[in-house]
Amino acid sequence: MPEHGLRIANLRCRVAGNEILKGIDLTVEPGRVHALMGPNGSGKSTLALSLTGHPQYEVTGSVELDGEDILSLPPDKRARAGLFLSFQYPAAIPGVKVANFLHAARQAEKPGDMPPAKFRALLLEKMDQLGIDPSFMGRYLNDGFSGGERKRLEMLQLAVLAPKYAIMDETDSGLDIDALKDVGSCIAALRASSEGRDMGLLIITHYPRILQYVVPDVVHVMIDGRIVETGGHELAHRIEREGYDRLREEAGASTPLTPSAAV
Amino acid sequence: MPPSSTLSAATPQATGLYERLAALDPVVRAPDARREALDRFFRLKSRREKTGRFWRIDFDSIVPDPRSIDQGFRLSVETGDPVVRALDLPAAAREHPAALARAMGATGIAAGKFGALADAFAARGVFIHVPADHACDEPIVIRYHADAATAIFPYTVVLAERGARVTIVERLGAETQAFVCGATEIVTEDHADVSYAVLQQAKEGSRVIALRAARPGRDARIAWASADLGGELAAGELRVNITQPGAEARLTALFFPRASQHVDLVSTVEHEAGEASSETMVKSAARERGQARFLGNIRIAPHAQGSDARLRDDVLVLSPTAHVDSVPALEIGANDVKAYHGATVGTIDEEQVFYMQSRGIDAAAAGRMIALGFFEPAVERFPSARLRDEIRAELAGKLS
Repeated sequence: MPEHGLRIANLRCRVAGNEILKGIDLTVEPGRVHALMGPNGSGKSTLALSLTGHPQYEVTGSVELDGEDILSLPPDKRARAGLFLSFQYPAAIPGVKVANFLHAARQAEKPGDMPPAKFRALLLEKMDQLGIDPSFMGRYLNDGFSGGERKRLEMLQLAVLAPKYAIMDETDSGLDIDALKDVGSCIAALRASSEGRDMGLLIITHYPRILQYVVPDVVHVMIDGRIVETGGHELAHRIEREGYDRLREEAGASTPLTPSAAV
Repeated sequence: MPPSSTLSAATPQATGLYERLAALDPVVRAPDARREALDRFFRLKSRREKTGRFWRIDFDSIVPDPRSIDQGFRLSVETGDPVVRALDLPAAAREHPAALARAMGATGIAAGKFGALADAFAARGVFIHVPADHACDEPIVIRYHADAATAIFPYTVVLAERGARVTIVERLGAETQAFVCGATEIVTEDHADVSYAVLQQAKEGSRVIALRAARPGRDARIAWASADLGGELAAGELRVNITQPGAEARLTALFFPRASQHVDLVSTVEHEAGEASSETMVKSAARERGQARFLGNIRIAPHAQGSDARLRDDVLVLSPTAHVDSVPALEIGANDVKAYHGATVGTIDEEQVFYMQSRGIDAAAAGRMIALGFFEPAVERFPSARLRDEIRAELAGKLS
């Protein structure tokens, strides 16, 4: 009987020769919400991209998704196994229409599970929930989208792909309060649905703001490529009050990495 | 260039070409005019005098076997509009010579080497005549097809009278070893609007040359769109001569050589009158040993103040053995103009592939979607949804 969960053990990652992740252990259980907080440059996005399979990252350690080792898989097979990343900086792909892309992605991840008419109805419902204008369907993927539009589109993909485990990499940055509420209610609706009830979430953020809308069961703090503290959601409030400096001192961390080295 | 590849008027093949001219329709073109045009063909240098490192096509050696000329020429026209005149060239030359003469020869298309060849052998083709203020809503479809190992010289003439509007789709096909040298001339009179799209799907081993030129009148519009997807060699020019203010020209070209295909395309916009605009978009990809050359000419005459000329040219190189040369050539003689040129040459972007992979799409499928997307802004400028879908399917086939 495999152990359920997204189980990350001793994960290390080098980017362009620099070690960014220095041994991460973290397990996201089905249906649970984990928040990963930390200052800029601590390696949060690197963790997200390592899990997703960024082609230029050298990653060691182990990552199991419901018992399946996914670290040796290409990114598309990780996605089909049930992993999703809401990108901090989603790529723009001119000429590829949002509707075609969403359909291709759904077909790739859950082939033939939904007739086109039903898929279309699902899209319209989720777009309405996320405050996305239906005209988006005919636009080119992320091309000329504002930061907020990109993030809403990431959430739309999360909603229509309904993965087992989702990583949200700073989905809140660049969103105004209304957009943040839309994102929060979209996630709440997904978690209340039969498809999304068991979804495990890893929310990466450096502000606790989004955590008012999606309350975490567990909060981790990452500094300099290591998780230095883990606690309940009250840890997020403590960080809001105190900042990261005290945790950084306690961890004995060196000077923070420059953001460019950690992206 | 080795002397053996240069065809002179003294070779048996050239003699055969002159003899073949004498058998062609004397009303469409007078025999003297044909001979004069063929003389010019032999006298003129091809635009591509030098064969380069990646370019070994010798334009002087590709003239056809004279005996095959017009022996396998298939032509049809579909139009549901009784007001629009769509005639075979010989019928037009006999029944409506005055109307035909308003457009045929009006763009100076015969000035270049292969324009002269097309002019010399102009005998079959189509004349489309749209009367003043008539809007033809359904696209007119012209089909030209060359049988295997034959040569055809399809000549298309479009006259859109004042305020007329028409969309024409040309489908150009050729079997293996065929040779096509065609010309299209469009005259849009004042306030007229013509959209002309070409889908070229010639078979392997065929060679297709197409010269296309338009002359819009005052406040008239012309839209060229060409998709050169077939043939071993596809060469030609898309040209607009702006001689009246208020004219608007839109040129779109896409091509995608693969295997051993060569494409050699020139776009030319001559701004000879001011207060007119042109916008050229070229999207090309190449894979395997596919080769392409594109030359984008924009010329703004010194007196053409207030011109607005744009040229956008993007190249996607899909194999290390593929090669695309892309050369913009802007000559701007006036000072109060807008002129823009943008070009990119690139490969499939790894970050884009990664993003699509993260949504479950495998790398090969992602690459195909991205490459199709690269062409999409050009595909969208073609008229008719069916034609666009057909172009997308052709491109998808070339990507798989």
